[in-house]
Amino acid sequence: MIIRALINGEKINKDVDPNKRLLDFLREDMRLISVKEGCGEGECGACTVILDGKAVTSCTIFTGQIQGCEVVTLEGLDKSGELDKIRDSFIKHGAIQCGFCTPGMILSSKALLDKNSNPTKEEIKRAIEGNLCRCTGYNKIVEAVEEIVDSEVK
Amino acid sequence: MNKKLKYVGKGLIREDSYDKASGKAKYVCDMEKHNMLHARLLLSEKAHAEIKIDKKQALKIPGIVAIYTYDDIPKIAYNSHQWYPGVSALEDEYILNDKARFVGDRIAIVVGETKESVNRALKEIKVEYNELSNVIGIESAEKDEMIIKGNTNLAFSKKLSCGNIDESFKKADFIIEDIGTTQKIHHAAMETHSCLAEKDEIGNIIVWMPCQVVFQEQYIIAKVLEMPYSKVRVIKSIMGGSFGGKGQPILGPICAFAAKELNRPVKLIMDRKDVIQGTRSRNASRIIVKTGITKDGKIVGREITANIDGGAYYTNAAAIALAMGKKSFRLYDIDSQIFTGNTYYTNTIPGGACRGYGSPQIHAVTELNIDNAARKIGMDTCEFRLNNVVSPNAEDPIGAPNLGNARIRECITKGMKRFNWYERKQLINNKNTDRYAYGIGMACATHGNGYHGAFPDFTNVDISILPSNVVWIKVGIHDQGCGTVQTMKQIAAEVLDIDPVSINIPQADTFISPYDSAGSQASRVTFVCGGAVKRAAEQIREKLINNFCKLNGCSKEKVILKDGYIYKENSSEKYTYGQIALETETNLEESLNVNMTYKSPANPAVYAVSFVEVKVDKYTGQVEVKDILEVHDIGQSINPVLVEGQIQGGAQMSIGMALCEEIEINKNGRVKSENFSKYHIINAPDMPEIKMELVEKCEPTGPFGAKSVGELVAVAPAPAILNAINNALDTNITVYPATPERIIEAITNKE
Repeated sequence: MIIRALINGEKINKDVDPNKRLLDFLREDMRLISVKEGCGEGECGACTVILDGKAVTSCTIFTGQIQGCEVVTLEGLDKSGELDKIRDSFIKHGAIQCGFCTPGMILSSKALLDKNSNPTKEEIKRAIEGNLCRCTGYNKIVEAVEEIVDSEVK
Repeated sequence: MNKKLKYVGKGLIREDSYDKASGKAKYVCDMEKHNMLHARLLLSEKAHAEIKIDKKQALKIPGIVAIYTYDDIPKIAYNSHQWYPGVSALEDEYILNDKARFVGDRIAIVVGETKESVNRALKEIKVEYNELSNVIGIESAEKDEMIIKGNTNLAFSKKLSCGNIDESFKKADFIIEDIGTTQKIHHAAMETHSCLAEKDEIGNIIVWMPCQVVFQEQYIIAKVLEMPYSKVRVIKSIMGGSFGGKGQPILGPICAFAAKELNRPVKLIMDRKDVIQGTRSRNASRIIVKTGITKDGKIVGREITANIDGGAYYTNAAAIALAMGKKSFRLYDIDSQIFTGNTYYTNTIPGGACRGYGSPQIHAVTELNIDNAARKIGMDTCEFRLNNVVSPNAEDPIGAPNLGNARIRECITKGMKRFNWYERKQLINNKNTDRYAYGIGMACATHGNGYHGAFPDFTNVDISILPSNVVWIKVGIHDQGCGTVQTMKQIAAEVLDIDPVSINIPQADTFISPYDSAGSQASRVTFVCGGAVKRAAEQIREKLINNFCKLNGCSKEKVILKDGYIYKENSSEKYTYGQIALETETNLEESLNVNMTYKSPANPAVYAVSFVEVKVDKYTGQVEVKDILEVHDIGQSINPVLVEGQIQGGAQMSIGMALCEEIEINKNGRVKSENFSKYHIINAPDMPEIKMELVEKCEPTGPFGAKSVGELVAVAPAPAILNAINNALDTNITVYPATPERIIEAITNKE
């Protein structure tokens, strides 16, 4: 099946098995390695991508479902410069340890901030509730996102 | 206290965080090699069975290159816990096993050109299981009706003791007895287990993997493949978390075997279900504690029996029992105490290291018992503990190393003050409603700093200053995600007065790193490897100064090292260290380099106290941790941001142990919680904000006064939470985790 979609700002037109998991398509066909597999059942959030503005787990979506859609991964945010502020805040706050959950955490946070530029702490926690992290206990991640909110509001 | 530290004690940014936050960091799952094959393991679906594997159909799947079973492998047994040949442990597992001994046992490996072909072939392999009766759980193992191997299911048993327990109990006014159980826990590192192996052009086997002890992987791989040790290169890859789960060689030996046989690179990846079932877990335990106390609140004697679920292979049967036992003697000053540890074989996931190594289990029960003891005599639990905790520099009563600068007393008093203990104790009940009960609780914990006193604990360091003005430190460290490399850099930077960005510390690689005796485990890295890096940096500093003096004709006393420059006092001519390295090569005909061995001088204890407030919903059994304060005696923190990250992350794990995490195994041995939908770890909305206090009293034997932190942090919150729940409900729940069902049951039983 020919898939036409916008991936990280680039139009793609590819013959793909529509039943391939979006996770595998992004990692193997598009070489977007920031998208990680942690559980394969949509519970851990390591494979989070932004699909038409919404943070979703790419392991529970088939490639056929992105027909005509826009997909953003961490590589895309990096390319467009949108990653800078959120990345710097994660780094500064020590919100990164092993780093495996980090791409998904950043994308879930980004999807929230795109919709709501002034979320409360509770809203931040809810936005990343589907992203599991075993290293940080989430405290520093929430602080990192809060700081972006503060700096944008100012 | 170190007053004038420049790099140590600062929350500097770790260098790897940029790549990780950009999605550029390559883990093994992201690595590709030319002509690489993909592999997956076939894991047993039965707990105990003789097996017959028919791979004919599976081999016909296009793209399948090989399927190996026990029939195809070298019949060399190993023990995956053994990190060097001096650790005596029964060798009872093969790279692929002859029989299924637990659900998750490795029984075949499928290797193919694509992941898809491998997945298809896995489904086509026919396994005929001739089921045997099984042993699930400690009580079943104790009966010895079905014996898994040898003459008994009791794999290991040992007593540790001091004083005279019978005499001491006679002196006691009360003996308080509790029985508690702890569950099997999944490490839940977000990166699953993975390994990539290939044979190079001269026949070396090269293995990339997230691991904790490269020299252990090298030793086991060389042994089972009957290869010279020196031809096995293990490279520690970027690691997406371990918590002990990636400590034992599980994938390394089998992946290396496939790559060697096929003479092509092989990448072996586990999915989450494979990792939960087919690797290791925290050992479950059933612990019986009897504590003899006097009316005025002194512990006179204690008897502990820990029965431990060791799983299907011997692995850490001895180590886990001894680790639990030794901790029992290092928190309270008790003249007479006896600990008995019994580890049993069961047809379940084998035991392995899991953050805290026995500390979370033993404290989970003993700290509930301490609360019950205090309650018995109507004494405040903090005051009761203050009456009994150890003092700085106390000797270990069973002859283990001295406790060092043990500051548990200060942790308790500091915590009581910050938590406002007495006032909250008075007022907590005022918050209660018909539906919600509130409670406060606390618990203490201790842990160690490496292997000194038990196993060889030394590391070698090769440190150079290069003409390019880089300090290059080769030491066998494995950053599991917690920032080990950054810690080492800050230690070296402090000694050499140079910006840590000028320091390069590659991680463990058996062809690059000088030998390290025990790897990144046992809370030894900051204390032992950090101590080694400090000593090596001091020696190269000395050499740098000596060479500078030789080259410039001056005396050592007049030489200044500052901000990466070396110069004579009052001179405006400053040199980088790299310039001296170049002059050393040119004019002295040698490298500016030091190779040295560092033996750990001590094994002091670290301490933690956790204070919590909980809100219990009596209708649903749900518990909310409303407030939590963590106080830690860790000596000087090298990087406080990293330390805080450890404390917060450790609390996440321990809260999970208290409330929701459990690898549930049914009577047939099937793992019910085989993925995160059924194995619940605490997520962001359920995670409280962790308040922290550090007691940073210098430990004289540690680098700049530092001690360990990464394992200690995962111990005290769980018993503190159960104490708080019991305080709220006036119950005595001692079974972990305190799930809603168990809480409702305890409320019902009380009524």
